[in-house]
Amino acid sequence: MDLSQPEEENYANPKTCFFHVLFKASALAFYMLSTLFADSFVIIFVITVVLAALDFWVVKNVSGRILVGLRWWNEINEQGESIWRFECLDHESLARINQKDSWLFWWTLYLNAIAWTIFGIFSLVRLEVDYLLVVGVCLSLAIANIIGFTKCRKDAKNKIQAFASRTIASRFSSTLQSAFSLV
Amino acid sequence: MSNSHSDTIPLRPSNSQSDIDEIRSLIDDSVHSGPAVVLPARHPATTPPPSSSPFISSNIPPPPPVSSSSSLQKLQSVPAAPPPPPPVGNSSSIVANGFGPPPNTLTEPVLDTVKRDLWRIVSNLKLVVFPNPFREDPGKALRDWDLWGPFFFIVFLGVALSWSASVKKSQVFAVAFALLAAGAVILTLNVLLLGGHIIFFQSLSLLGYCLFPLDVGALICMLKDNVVAKVIIVCLALAWSSWAAYPFMSSAVNPNRKALALYPVLLMYLSVGFLIIAID
Repeated sequence: MDLSQPEEENYANPKTCFFHVLFKASALAFYMLSTLFADSFVIIFVITVVLAALDFWVVKNVSGRILVGLRWWNEINEQGESIWRFECLDHESLARINQKDSWLFWWTLYLNAIAWTIFGIFSLVRLEVDYLLVVGVCLSLAIANIIGFTKCRKDAKNKIQAFASRTIASRFSSTLQSAFSLV
Repeated sequence: MSNSHSDTIPLRPSNSQSDIDEIRSLIDDSVHSGPAVVLPARHPATTPPPSSSPFISSNIPPPPPVSSSSSLQKLQSVPAAPPPPPPVGNSSSIVANGFGPPPNTLTEPVLDTVKRDLWRIVSNLKLVVFPNPFREDPGKALRDWDLWGPFFFIVFLGVALSWSASVKKSQVFAVAFALLAAGAVILTLNVLLLGGHIIFFQSLSLLGYCLFPLDVGALICMLKDNVVAKVIIVCLALAWSSWAAYPFMSSAVNPNRKALALYPVLLMYLSVGFLIIAID
């Protein structure tokens, strides 16, 4: 990934992009090259899953915020019900988000999930249940992030539309008020 | 993220819209009796937010009431909204008393997030495993669940078991991990199918945290190899784990079905205990 391409719009947050990709890539790479590194399945499992978990945390808490301005989490309210909370930046900040950042964010998310699915198919075909476990864990982490952020993005779009219509309504009413005050 | 400073910034375009915004924000301020927080983020929070200790070490103004999203949107017209990633040292970590809107977690520095998550793990552990006054209302115990703690504990248990094993290390690990993960899911489903009121992730989180005593037991057993000592330690750890899990599980179901919900939990911990003893 060339971070210093001299294009009109460069990555706005190269360090965050780097970390966003780093853990995903290293988890995939470690899994693929695992036989070169260690014979012990335990070590492979632990390191791969730890890298995948770190990636999950980084995406959810850091790069989601910084690259696309979205955040999601789950809370349990006083009545004991679980609610999913979505948070997004306001309209102006969202418009200012670097397109390359956001493109990188979403595409690496999807490619990561696809890669793990392919690995899963391989290990299924080879009937390696142990490795299927690793793949299962990493895949579920990847899918959780995808679902969370997709829901968050939809929520953000809805909020922007609602905000836009409300702004139009309030502008209209303020114009009316100022018109009436002049009368 | 500046809180009260933004009120004194004189860079406001003077037109009717911002006048009305000012008036509205002043009214909102007096109603909410708190500083006008300039949050560049909007929250869909229409219900009063819970006692959420995830936000304990973040920047929440002291008596933060429910902030309706409309008042936040009006505040956005103040051109003091910071751009998305300002890792400015937001060092004013005001402790949340449990009420109020979630803070502006979108622009907090990364270290804050790390600290907040770590603190949440520790506090969840203390709530679940150690005796505390909240035990009377176990539903509250794990209000802000997280799965990091359980993840670490399950992996640690697997590694400890696999270390103590002299043969078939990888299988031991895989079995332990799969047993605990699948077991937690199945136990939760069991409670749900029995008509109990439990939240899926909350229960997973609880069952994971209750593994902590068994982790300690496994660690000690790794170091001492005497079978009798192992049995005693494992029994103690088992009793502690079950004691930790009991109130939560039993309160979630009908009293007639308490045993049906609890028995599988005890069985799972017992099997883990056997794994610990039997490994050599």
